[in-house]
Amino acid sequence: MHPEIARIQTMLGGEGYVADREIATAIYLSMSLRKPLLIEGAAGVGKTEVAKVMARALGADLIRLQCYEGLDATTALYEWNYQKQLLHIRLTEASDRTVEQREHEIFGEDFLLKRPLLEAITREAAPVLLVDEVDRSDSEFEAFLLEVLSDFQVTIPEIGTIRARTTPYVVLTSNRTRELGDALRRRCLYLWIEYPTFEKELQIVLGKAPGINADLAAQVAGFMQLVRQAKLEKTPGIAETIDWGAALMALHRDHLDRETIEETLGVLFKSQEDARVVRNQWLDLWLRGLERLRAESRPWSQALVERVAAEGALRR
Amino acid sequence: MKATRSGNLAANVVAFTRLLRHRGLPVGPREASDALRALSAVDLLDRREVYVALRTVLVDSRQHFDRFDEAFREFWGAEEEETRPESQPPDGMTPEETAEAEQVLRKWLEAESQNPEGDETQETPGYSPAEILTRKDFSALSSEELHAITTLVTQIARRVATRMSRRMRAVRRAHLLDMRRTVRHSLRRGGEIMELLRRRRRIQKTQVVLLCDVSGSMDLYSRFLVQFVFALQHAVSKVETFVFSTSLTRVTDALSDAELSRALDRVARTVPNWSGGTKIGHSLRQFLELYGRQLLGDRTVVIVISDGWDTGDVEALEAAMRELNRRSARVIWLNPLLGGVGYAPLCQGMRAALPHVDVFAPAHNLDSLRRLERHLALPR
Repeated sequence: MHPEIARIQTMLGGEGYVADREIATAIYLSMSLRKPLLIEGAAGVGKTEVAKVMARALGADLIRLQCYEGLDATTALYEWNYQKQLLHIRLTEASDRTVEQREHEIFGEDFLLKRPLLEAITREAAPVLLVDEVDRSDSEFEAFLLEVLSDFQVTIPEIGTIRARTTPYVVLTSNRTRELGDALRRRCLYLWIEYPTFEKELQIVLGKAPGINADLAAQVAGFMQLVRQAKLEKTPGIAETIDWGAALMALHRDHLDRETIEETLGVLFKSQEDARVVRNQWLDLWLRGLERLRAESRPWSQALVERVAAEGALRR
Repeated sequence: MKATRSGNLAANVVAFTRLLRHRGLPVGPREASDALRALSAVDLLDRREVYVALRTVLVDSRQHFDRFDEAFREFWGAEEEETRPESQPPDGMTPEETAEAEQVLRKWLEAESQNPEGDETQETPGYSPAEILTRKDFSALSSEELHAITTLVTQIARRVATRMSRRMRAVRRAHLLDMRRTVRHSLRRGGEIMELLRRRRRIQKTQVVLLCDVSGSMDLYSRFLVQFVFALQHAVSKVETFVFSTSLTRVTDALSDAELSRALDRVARTVPNWSGGTKIGHSLRQFLELYGRQLLGDRTVVIVISDGWDTGDVEALEAAMRELNRRSARVIWLNPLLGGVGYAPLCQGMRAALPHVDVFAPAHNLDSLRRLERHLALPR
């Protein structure tokens, strides 16, 4: 492994983020080729975390642009500070400056409110720019974003063109609620994050729920693998696993049984329908799967969990 | 070491990207140059690392992972073998050969589009033994029914035409204050704000795509539904209409005639395989390939009107529906059979399509179409 990639992996590990090789390599390449990194994957696999951890590891600021339907260029780029402008007009009323001069004054940089995109390209030190859930924005905004990411410069009619002092590290995430345009895709490096393997998830649980007993952690991680075989409205992600681990510890449980799971079902399944289907259809199967896992010697492995799932007809 | 190899490496990377392009991945010179830069930044002796690096740079969507993996194995050798970036590319990679292959492919595609029926019957002789090439006469129409549909459809169409997501509704306002222009305007009056300037949110039109099944099993309904389609197309400005049985035909232009009977007549003449067998998967795939890029997007509502009786490949249907769903804002499936008492969508085709449908609703009479309005208003 390239020493830099290994270093990034360790660095991320130090920040409490268990990064496998794909993730570390993609981050490294994005940094060394200075290209934006597009991360896709199901909800809750830790896409957004990548940017946060990257910023911490680089010692850079994180600037986040949360996308939503209807987000437009103004909201993302800049706005004028109207109150300040109005105040300035009042204050200079008595002066003998012409309207043109005063107009020129209030459309200067002092009156500019930077929004995330402008903020990101005007920083002295390169920040990490996180464009979160870019699939939720409209395609017009996507086109605009593409333009900014291509040139790292923006034009403000009243001021002129502002060029990036340093190129920010850009991370885009998408939940694939709509297909992104080819142009944007091709501008970026691509990383797909899968749901974690048993081993990775165990490592995450141990790291994120300090003090959890190793038995319980393994059962939680194993159980989550079984859960993800089922077809649900919303498959629980890593965040849910971590919350669940914490909930179990708060309840002082040291192993998983029906009662414990039923009590904490709400942590994992956040829709009425899912909770119902799980109770009626899956829970028995999963508990049986867990029993079978317990009969095996430790440490368990992804292959073992998959075999148990296959035997128990746990697939959707 | 890197220096002595780089010449070969560059040639290999170019050849590899050409292979990927050949396999349908959107890979151009820019990607090739990125790949080269990426490889110079990783450990070339580490096969896994080379693989991950190339995939990160050259593939831009998960759906291409499989094709990439295959090409990677083929080009750089299988897992067991030692990584040898210098190894010769496989046959078929010279530009001449690529060009030749492209030509063959193009010829094949042209032949297929010229003679679709011929190919269909060859592929699946059992399914549409006699694809009925009759041209249906649509002249007999009840005028009250038509009138009722037109009025109703105008209502429905209006609901479709305004975007329907809850999120949009929360932010939508008739007028937004335009502070930038207001302040600028006030300067002329010495900074006094005399009027508030507003800007209007541009109304974003929904693209509607209608895919209407006109195969034999739909005969009872298609005459009726085509009127619905006709009215919808005339009520909403951005509608594209297609009909299909074993293959797809675009009828937007044919239907654009203001006179219903003339329009229907034109449609009947345009569509070669009316009342034939059904290959929904194949037809949808055709739609995706020919029109998907142009018509699908986050403002597209796709309405499929079909009973789901598919005599084609069910897997193809499932894959096509999945893609359709992913690439559009909403997929609505209108099934005339759903109106029947005790109907359950048990036929294979319908079962395969259902997971990828946002709204599944009946369409067997006027009343069901009226209720459709409610379904359209549901948030996704």
